Amino acid sequence: MRLIKCLKHAFGMVVHSKIRSWLTILGIVIGVASVIAIMSIGAGMQQSMTDQLGGLGGDILTLTAGSSSSTSMFGGGRFSSRTSSDVATDEEPLLERTDVQVLRAIPNIEAVDTQISGNVDVNYLGKSGSIRLTGVDQKVWARITLSKIKEGRMLDSADQNVVVIGGRLAESYFDKPIGINQMITIEENVFRVVGVLDDSSTNLYMPIQMAYQMLDDKENGVYDSIIIKIKDEEILNETLVKIEAKLMLVRHVTEKTKDFSISSSADLQQTRSEMLASMNAFLLAIAAVSLIVGAVGVANTMFTSVLEKTKQIGIMKAIGARNKDIMLIFLFNAALIGLVGGIIGIIFGVILSGVLPALMGETMILRSGTFVSIDSIIIALSVSVGIGILAGFVPAYQGSKLKPVDALRYE
Amino acid sequence: MEAIISFKDVSKTYQMGEVEVPALRGINVEIIKGDFVAIIGASGSGKSTMMNLIGCLDIPTKGKILLKSQDIAKLSESNLATLRGKTIGFVFQQYNLIQTMTAFENVILPLELQEVNDIFAKERAKKMLELVGLGDKMNYLPTQLSGGQQQRVSIARCFVANPEIILADEITGALDSVTGKEIMGILKKLWVEEGKTIIMVTHDLNLAKYAHRSIELKDGNIIRVGNNKKIRRGVAA
Ligand SMILES: Nc1ncnc2c1ncn2[C@@H]1O[C@H](COP(=O)(O)OP(=O)(O)OP(=O)(O)O)[C@@H](O)[C@H]1O
Ligand SMILES: [Mg+2]
Repeated sequence: MRLIKCLKHAFGMVVHSKIRSWLTILGIVIGVASVIAIMSIGAGMQQSMTDQLGGLGGDILTLTAGSSSSTSMFGGGRFSSRTSSDVATDEEPLLERTDVQVLRAIPNIEAVDTQISGNVDVNYLGKSGSIRLTGVDQKVWARITLSKIKEGRMLDSADQNVVVIGGRLAESYFDKPIGINQMITIEENVFRVVGVLDDSSTNLYMPIQMAYQMLDDKENGVYDSIIIKIKDEEILNETLVKIEAKLMLVRHVTEKTKDFSISSSADLQQTRSEMLASMNAFLLAIAAVSLIVGAVGVANTMFTSVLEKTKQIGIMKAIGARNKDIMLIFLFNAALIGLVGGIIGIIFGVILSGVLPALMGETMILRSGTFVSIDSIIIALSVSVGIGILAGFVPAYQGSKLKPVDALRYE
Repeated sequence: MEAIISFKDVSKTYQMGEVEVPALRGINVEIIKGDFVAIIGASGSGKSTMMNLIGCLDIPTKGKILLKSQDIAKLSESNLATLRGKTIGFVFQQYNLIQTMTAFENVILPLELQEVNDIFAKERAKKMLELVGLGDKMNYLPTQLSGGQQQRVSIARCFVANPEIILADEITGALDSVTGKEIMGILKKLWVEEGKTIIMVTHDLNLAKYAHRSIELKDGNIIRVGNNKKIRRGVAA
C-alpha cells in the first residue's frame, strides 16, 4: 500500500476511536505543555539574570552585608558569624556611611554608588503594578552603570522627583507606553520620567534620598548594597584585599566573623548560572517524567488498539495486506497521536508560559517574562512524535506478525 | 485441462495445547481453471481448513499445495500477500467487512493495498458496487446495511481486484433462503460472465447444485468427487 494510503487509514483509526485516542493525546499534551512552559521559564530566568547583571561591568564590585554569596549555599557566611562567640552584637550586619567613607579613601576606587531597593506600587493612567525600585546615588550612578539610555537622560545631581525606567516598563508593562516627561505615580507621589533605558527590564531608578521616602522599611543612611567602580582593573586583586582589610577594621570583624561580602559581577554571574542550570535540569526532569507517562499511555492504547483490531488485521491480510502495510498503519497511528498531542501541548504550553509570570507574582526570577523559543517548539514536536513512534513500535510489530487465519478467527 | 490448484497428500493438524486435532488427513485433489466447485460435508469435516489452505491464509502440516504451479510453502510473506490480493478473492460467511469503513471504502481497499491508480480504483469500486445492486448505498457503513446487502458488498470487494480464484465459505449461511438465492445468483452470474474459478463451501445441498463439481469431505478425508452434468458455463441452474 502507498504511504499516503497508510496515513489515511491511520488517520481514520484515530478518528474512529475518539475517546481513547483523545485521552492518550491528553497524556502527551500535558507532557509537552509542561516541557514548553518549563523551557520558557528557564529562558525567562536567564533573561532576567542578564538584565539584572548586565548593568555591571568587569571593573565593578558589589558589596553587600551578611553572608557571601558563594558560601551561603553551604551554610557559611552569616550563620557562622552569628554562632561565633566573639561576635559582640546580635543585630543584622548593615552597610552604613562609615563604610562608604572608608571606601572613598582607597586610591584605586574611582566611584562608590550606594543603593537600596524594594517593591513599590506604581500607577500610570489608572493601571497599577508592583515594580522593583532601586534608589541610587545619582551623582555617580550614571558613570557606574552599563545601562545605556535610549531616550531622555540619566539621573543627575540636582534631580529630585524624577525617575529613569527600564525599556519594557516604558513600552509594554502598562496599557499605554510611558514616554519622556510623562508623570507616573509611585506610592502616591508624582514622578516625572526623564529617561528610558535601552534594555528589556522593568526596573525603576530614582535618587536614593527619594527612594528612602518611598520604601518605608529602609532606614536613612543604611544601604542594601554598595557598588564600587575600580580605576585600574589590572590591580583588582590587590584592591580587593585592601578593601576587605579596611572594611574589617572599621566593622570590627575578623576573617572568621566577616559580616560582609564582595563579589565581582563575573562571580555573581557564575554562581547564578550554576544555580539556574541545576534548577532547569531539575524542572526538566519533572517534565520528562510526565512525557514518559504520556509515552506509556500511547503504548497502552496501541496494544489495546492492535488487540481490538485483530479481526480487521485478519481481513486486511486476507485481501492482500502485507506485514509492512499493517505495521505502517499502526505506526502512523501512534505518530499521529504524538503529533496531535504535541501541537495541542505546544499551544497550551505557550499559553501557560504567558500566564506563569502573573501566576507566580512579582518574584525576582521571572521579572523579564518568559520566552518560548522556536527551538523548544521543534524539540517538543519531534520528541512527541518520536515518543509516539517508539511507544507504537512493539504493538505495531506484533500486529503485523499475526497469522491471517488466527487473526480472522478472533472475535 | 490445466489444474489451477492441486493438493498433494495434504494434511493439516491443529495443536490444541497437548492435543493434536487432525483436520485434513492426506488429501489429493486437483481443481481445474474455470471450474465451479462445491465442497460439502458435515460440520467439522475440514471444509474451512481446506479453504484456508487454498487461500494461503494457512500452511499445511504435511504435503504440498500448488497454486498456479507454484509451491505456496516456498513463497515469501509479501509474495503470499500479493497472491492473496491479486489471484484470490474471499467471500466469508460472516461478511468480514471493516466496520468503520463505508461500503465503498471496503470495496476499494484491495485496490489500495495493490497500489492501483486512484482514478481507476474509484471507477472500478463504483462499478462493482453497481453490479451487485448497491450503487445507491456506497457511503453506508456495514451497520447500516442488511445482512444480504453486506454480503453483496463483500462479493463486490472480492471481485474488485479481478481475482482468478473465488473462495466462498458458507456465504449464505447467515442469510434467509430468498436472500441466499439472490446472493448465489450474483455469484453465478459473475462466474458465467467473467470465467472465474469458484470454490464454494456449503452445507446446503440445494446450493451445491449451482456448482459444476462437488467434493465431499468426511473427517478430513475426501469421500466423493462428483460432476453435476446439468451445470455448464453459460447455463443458469
Ligand atoms: N484453529 C483451530 N484450532 C484447533 N482446531 C481447529 C481449528 N480450526 C479447526 N479446527 C478443528 O479442525 C476440524 C475441522 O474444522 P473446519 O473448520 O475445517 O470444519 P468445517 O468443515 O469448516 O466445519 P463447519 O461446517 O462447522 O464450518 C474440526 O474438528 C475443528 O474442531
Ligand atoms: Mg467451516
